[in-house]
Amino acid sequence: MLRHTAERLLLAIPVLFGVLLLGFVLMQVVPTDPAIVRAGPTATMDIIEAIRRDLGLDQPLWRQFLIYIGKLVQGDLGVSIINNVPVTQELGATIGPTLELMLASLIWAIPLGILMGTIGGYYRGTFLDRAIMAVSVAGVSVPVFFLGLVLIWLLGFQYQIFPFTGRGGPLWTWEGIKAIVLPALTLGGVFVGPVARMTRSSVLDVLGADHVRTARAKGLPERQVVSRHALRNALVPVVTLIGLQIGFLLGGAVVTETVFSWPGIGRLAVGAILSSDLPMAQGTIIVLSLGFIIVNLAVDVLYAVLDPRVRNA
Amino acid sequence: MSLRTALIAGTAALCVGAVPAIAQQKNPLVILRVIDADNYDPIRSTSTAAAEVAYMLADTLVSIDFDMKTIRPLLAESWEISPDGKTYTFKLRKDVKFCDGRPMKAEDVVYSVKRWTNPASRSPVANRAGPLKDVRATDDYTVVYELKEPYSDLLAQLGLSFASIVDKNTVEKLGENFGVQGFNATGPYCWVSWTPRQEVVLKKNPHYTWGPDIYKDPKPQIDQIVWRVIPEQNTLMAAMQAKQADITYYMPYIALDTMQRVPGTQVQQQKNYVYDAFMGFKVDKPVVSDEAIRRAANMAINRDAIAKAVYFGKGTALHSLLNPNVLDFDKKSAELMPKFDPAAAAKLLDDAGWKVGAGGIREKDGKKAAFLVYGLRNAVNPRISEAMQADLRKVGIDMSIQLWDATVGWGKLATQEFDAFLMSYPAVTANEALNLYFRSTQAPTPNRMNWKNESTDSLIAKSTTSTDDATRTQANGAVQRQLTEANVWVPLVSEPMWLVSGDRVEGAKPHGLYGAGLYKGLDIKLKR
Repeated sequence: MLRHTAERLLLAIPVLFGVLLLGFVLMQVVPTDPAIVRAGPTATMDIIEAIRRDLGLDQPLWRQFLIYIGKLVQGDLGVSIINNVPVTQELGATIGPTLELMLASLIWAIPLGILMGTIGGYYRGTFLDRAIMAVSVAGVSVPVFFLGLVLIWLLGFQYQIFPFTGRGGPLWTWEGIKAIVLPALTLGGVFVGPVARMTRSSVLDVLGADHVRTARAKGLPERQVVSRHALRNALVPVVTLIGLQIGFLLGGAVVTETVFSWPGIGRLAVGAILSSDLPMAQGTIIVLSLGFIIVNLAVDVLYAVLDPRVRNA
Repeated sequence: MSLRTALIAGTAALCVGAVPAIAQQKNPLVILRVIDADNYDPIRSTSTAAAEVAYMLADTLVSIDFDMKTIRPLLAESWEISPDGKTYTFKLRKDVKFCDGRPMKAEDVVYSVKRWTNPASRSPVANRAGPLKDVRATDDYTVVYELKEPYSDLLAQLGLSFASIVDKNTVEKLGENFGVQGFNATGPYCWVSWTPRQEVVLKKNPHYTWGPDIYKDPKPQIDQIVWRVIPEQNTLMAAMQAKQADITYYMPYIALDTMQRVPGTQVQQQKNYVYDAFMGFKVDKPVVSDEAIRRAANMAINRDAIAKAVYFGKGTALHSLLNPNVLDFDKKSAELMPKFDPAAAAKLLDDAGWKVGAGGIREKDGKKAAFLVYGLRNAVNPRISEAMQADLRKVGIDMSIQLWDATVGWGKLATQEFDAFLMSYPAVTANEALNLYFRSTQAPTPNRMNWKNESTDSLIAKSTTSTDDATRTQANGAVQRQLTEANVWVPLVSEPMWLVSGDRVEGAKPHGLYGAGLYKGLDIKLKR
């Protein structure tokens, strides 16, 4: 298992290189010029040309990429070409809030989703099942910005319980917790649906399996049958789904971050890409793809925990 | 596990629910806006987001009054202009100190102007300093600003944030990071920190007593100011209503009437605000190179309806090339502007040989009366362009719309791909706007119309180098009439400046110079 993990980590290096190359090429496709962004709308062409030379944008593309990779190998992520802030500083300042937000939304959404899915699967066809599925279909379908705005209107404006204008502080302070409630509800809200649906269908499959019948025949209490024998086997596809969704959350929380002015990495990435801020965009791409790789690795490890066959293979 | 989590969450929610509302501390004053600046170096950023903070952080030699025209003293207590209009002598105040306590002297002004105009600084606004020959300090409190030729706009330009006086030591210490990691100048508020895309924090400059006399109290009253970015306008609206912030002038127009009804909230308009939306034609492109098409467009577009519908009645339709509030606005040219009259527009096109063809779109010599407009995808442009599209369609002109996200947009607007473009801009004088957008040397940006006309160039040169008001006004008027008759622009709407302040705030008054709604931020007090 350890060797497997190490191999996977080593494999991540060429993957990262490919991602960087792809990111670089895609950035050239974005129809904008960082020199124009920096110079602003009233600048004349000679100033724009001068800024372009300063930034090294008049160099051939392959040389720009090699210079960038060369610096990266030395651990230098560079500085933003728009505002000169070091990329590491910006990344450092945004990863924390993003992880906080992910943690705060997953910590309630995953257990709730699994619980809802299990109940729905167990009481299949009943009113309870229908209600749970209705809620999760709604959760899948409602756009995240709409949920966010409704929560702002209800809990932020109508009852004025929670603030919604950005991060209040670290998660261990009262202000920090209050400020994260609404964004975490919003982001988690769209997470519950898929998890519940996947758990339900997976539990349904497993409940009909032979080993569950055996467990019941052994006279085990129903509670234990469902939680130990059914749910545990049903969790494999759910874990896959959660892994994929977390990767998506890393960069896909942009809308939530925008609605709640949350200082996360998604907004940083989108801003950097839109302004053709290559070092900054590449920095966020590195972090996001690393995050994705790590989450997938964690999912693999979890498979082993859940499935003895994988463990012993 | 899940049950316990749910219970804890539920209990937490109940506990929080018992707290009546979010408690507000006395400090700081929170100002909301929707976008952050690229940096806060006054000479390197042309964004409104940078200017509105720069006016608080730094002072200029002169200030501009609430009427957007009158030049008043600020760091310079008086000035003299030589009869040939080439030499300006500024007498500086002697009590001015930087945020770090160092007294400001003439050499600081000289340094700031030289830094602004030095080509190595790559300032996109360097040409606003005029044809500078030399700037020097003759003693500690006298600055001589010498020009190669007269520049009638100089004082107004010296009142803008680009001409801010900054501290040499801090600039040299921080280099490229000036306005990113730190700042030091003589403004009423001092730099504390900047977190990009989140907030700029300022604190009171303890030495400050030299505020311009357009304010009642020359000293700042607020200990700490936070400029917070709320990228989503609906959130901003709710935040103001829920009293999570004190001041904004980025309230969606649709919400202004609602805000007026919120107890304790003040909603004020700056009537002299100059920020105009227009559509410009690339006059060397097929179809829009035809003056008949441009004139017909000016007659077919119902700007009153746009001001009413898109700006919810809060904007003012613009019936002249330039804003009536700018210095040297020409009334006669406003009269030359064709009135809204779709029938007359159709007749004009008929007479010019544009006959109605297939699908109701006019044609002439096998060419369709169609053009492509570019613009930024902001809060108003989608609806403005759609309204224009419908109006033009009625007279047989087919306008296609392509809107771009802001950062990509400016790059796109520097290309030659489009036939017309939507933009809005601030100005203080007619001369400034004409110089910036209509001189042939300014093409392809910011003269995106590719308007190259000798008579325009020489008239603008004449008004720019004039030394007496009458010549300048006359020449500026002549250009405005020429451009109005050529229908280079379709002026649309004068965007309004509405300042919304909460019940904690006292004394806030909208200023709006170059989009900076609070200007120096003086006279504002917090009640609680």
